[in-house]
Amino acid sequence: MDLVDLITEKRFLGQEFLTWLWYKSEEHGGSIYLPGRGDVLVVFEKHMLLEYGEGEEREKVICRGLQTELKEARAGLSLAKKPEQARLRLGWGDQEFGVTLTAAVFEFRNIRLPKTVDRADEGEGPEHLEARLLERIALFELLCSLVVDLFALFIDIRASQQWPQELAGIRTWIAEGSQHLIP
Amino acid sequence: MGLLTGAASLTRFAVEGDLPSSPWDFIAEQIKRHSFRDIDDTLDEYSVGWVSVANMFDSSFAYASYAAGDYVVLTLRVDERRVSPAVLKKFCQKEEERIKREQQIPRLARSARTEIRERLHAELLRKSPPIPATYDLCWNLADGVVLFFSTSKKAVALLEDLFKETFGLALILQIPWLVGQRVATGEAQRNFDSLQAAVLL
Repeated sequence: MDLVDLITEKRFLGQEFLTWLWYKSEEHGGSIYLPGRGDVLVVFEKHMLLEYGEGEEREKVICRGLQTELKEARAGLSLAKKPEQARLRLGWGDQEFGVTLTAAVFEFRNIRLPKTVDRADEGEGPEHLEARLLERIALFELLCSLVVDLFALFIDIRASQQWPQELAGIRTWIAEGSQHLIP
Repeated sequence: MGLLTGAASLTRFAVEGDLPSSPWDFIAEQIKRHSFRDIDDTLDEYSVGWVSVANMFDSSFAYASYAAGDYVVLTLRVDERRVSPAVLKKFCQKEEERIKREQQIPRLARSARTEIRERLHAELLRKSPPIPATYDLCWNLADGVVLFFSTSKKAVALLEDLFKETFGLALILQIPWLVGQRVATGEAQRNFDSLQAAVLL
């Protein structure tokens, strides 16, 4: 199967990952324990793109805004909509990132890195440039490895005997989300 | 915006294939061979190649190396002359009117209109300055992973072609399915290929 077909036919995996990540972070009060790494902060911020339908029939809905707490998006899950993009705050140790993650191809958009030394306070010359490059590369790689480690945890559950129990938990959580909207 | 400063968006790739036994010599030679060639003073329509991440005018890497630790850091620069469709349409209509007046004919044949359009397109293209675009990348040689600082489909296609042409190596976009195949362990690894979409309701 070529890459274009893989993206189309297997896009459910990234969408299920975002759903699971959201469920897991809410279940554990905004952090997820990663073996070998410890607790990782995972907070879904106030922006999400949901998809509904397949192929040319696919529709998209954007949920955002400071006061929504993503209630509309939670309710959307109960209508079989799936998250295609989510704005996340990820933290490990004293490093905290902002990123919009896409489900279909794992693009990292609008990355906000932790604060580093102000550029004005840095020296000039090739050594300083290389130091700055290496510092930023290390942060980008840390962000990518946090996402990949979270995804690996998901995969080890998703493709194992633990999945039916996890799925039951996700279904209950989605059903609870739809009830929050009933006045 | 990208690797060196500001907010960034990126796409991850795995590098497929092996480098020669002296990778840095090979990389140096290939980058030099495929560095960006300026077309400001030529009539060329298009140019694509590598420049330094520190300066888009530095295609000889005089001010900053393409090597940072064990990483290759490069900027893909593409310059392209373009003619806006609205501008082309305006000049074509103007020229058609001029010829009709001059020859005192009510309308021009399709072939004449096509010839005018092609001629004016070429003329306007030559007059328009090349529009530059730059995209950073960082290649981790130890892990064989490239971070490309764009999510534009057009930029990604340019990167895949230039990277292949430069280093003879293919870039594989790291979509969730391929990452899953790589990170799954034990039972999950055995079951992974048969995964089907779940019903979450």
